[in-house]
Amino acid sequence: MKTNETIVSQTKFIAEYATHLMGCGVHTSRVVRNTKRIGESLDFDVQISVFQKSLILTMLDIETQKTYSEVNEIPVIPISFEQNSELSALSWEAVDNRLTFEETKKKYQKIVESPQMDTLFVLLLVGFANASFCRLFGGDWISMAIVFSATIAGFFVKLQMQKNKFNHYITFIISAFVASLFSATSLIVDITSEIALATSVLFLIPGVPLINGVIDIVEGHTLTGISRLTNAFLLIVCVAIGLSFTLFLVKDKLI
Amino acid sequence: MILVDILSDGFFAAIASIGFGAISDPPLKAFKFIAILAAIGHACRFCLMTYFSFDIASASFISALIIGFGSLWLGGKIYCPMTVIYIPALLPMIPGKFAYKMVFSQIMFIQNMDEPALRTKYMDMFFSNSMITFTVIFLLAIGATLPMFIFHTKAFSLTRHITKKD
Repeated sequence: MKTNETIVSQTKFIAEYATHLMGCGVHTSRVVRNTKRIGESLDFDVQISVFQKSLILTMLDIETQKTYSEVNEIPVIPISFEQNSELSALSWEAVDNRLTFEETKKKYQKIVESPQMDTLFVLLLVGFANASFCRLFGGDWISMAIVFSATIAGFFVKLQMQKNKFNHYITFIISAFVASLFSATSLIVDITSEIALATSVLFLIPGVPLINGVIDIVEGHTLTGISRLTNAFLLIVCVAIGLSFTLFLVKDKLI
Repeated sequence: MILVDILSDGFFAAIASIGFGAISDPPLKAFKFIAILAAIGHACRFCLMTYFSFDIASASFISALIIGFGSLWLGGKIYCPMTVIYIPALLPMIPGKFAYKMVFSQIMFIQNMDEPALRTKYMDMFFSNSMITFTVIFLLAIGATLPMFIFHTKAFSLTRHITKKD
């Protein structure tokens, strides 16, 4: 027989686990499966309704047949595949090894608090990635170098603005503008500047919610799928607005 | 020369996938598989389009299918969910150039409202580019997710460390 406090802390933990998964970019059906599994390890039968900004969980204590419910907001946190994969593994471990509640919670805290990749390193990787993207689209070596520096400038602006908690959309508009303006320098030297301009903003395209959205829709979680796609689409529109500022400035040279 | 083209295509796709993947903080052990799958997928699409004259949509679908099966196989080895491997691997195939042309033609359409010939040209450009962009993204996601539907028991337990405990 569980005490009241244990039940409260356990149901709260299950709800937090579910919303954290939802926030860090896991597609909905996996969130539902993993949460049910974590619930099973604590002897709860969990039912979840998923909405775009909150989750409703109803947990049935199998022993006493009493139900408890939680409504939790989905936090806005950066996408992390590492946490996605570790938290999934944790749910299996909890069931297979019959971890106690304390053990599960300790492991969860350790995963959630583990540091993200070093930003300077990510900055360099993104620069190289966008430069090779430029190459894939047929850009020459000078364009690649320009795209490399433009990407680093744009991504740096994005990181700084995110650190200072600017509005998400404004961040995307300004970073797209900075990156494309930087790459517009390729118009001075006569090279594949159209490709340089087009690729310089591609690092801002929110690929993860785009693909997650389609997966959700195909798996029947249409509501969250469409909300993910809508969010991604709004960000793409912001990138387009930022890019179009640059295009307005230089369009006479492009045609 | 053909071999060099294919290899360099795969190489640059691998770098692109690592960099774009790094934004979403994947586990370090997954990086090499992400790079391999992105290289195979992108080089495959390049071959299909250049030497077998496939269109971009079906070539993307076939490559995404290969990436999906690859991530199912490799994900089991390092206990990673399929999506953790295949989403970064798909990123280099997102048709950014068409998306750019879509925005560009939209701006030019509005700028040339008074000239019917140019207006029609940019309208046509806008529609064909947006059609390609949306179809390719949709097919990429479907292609890579399809293996998950076919082998759902295996796909759902990739992160499980022990298979059976009796």
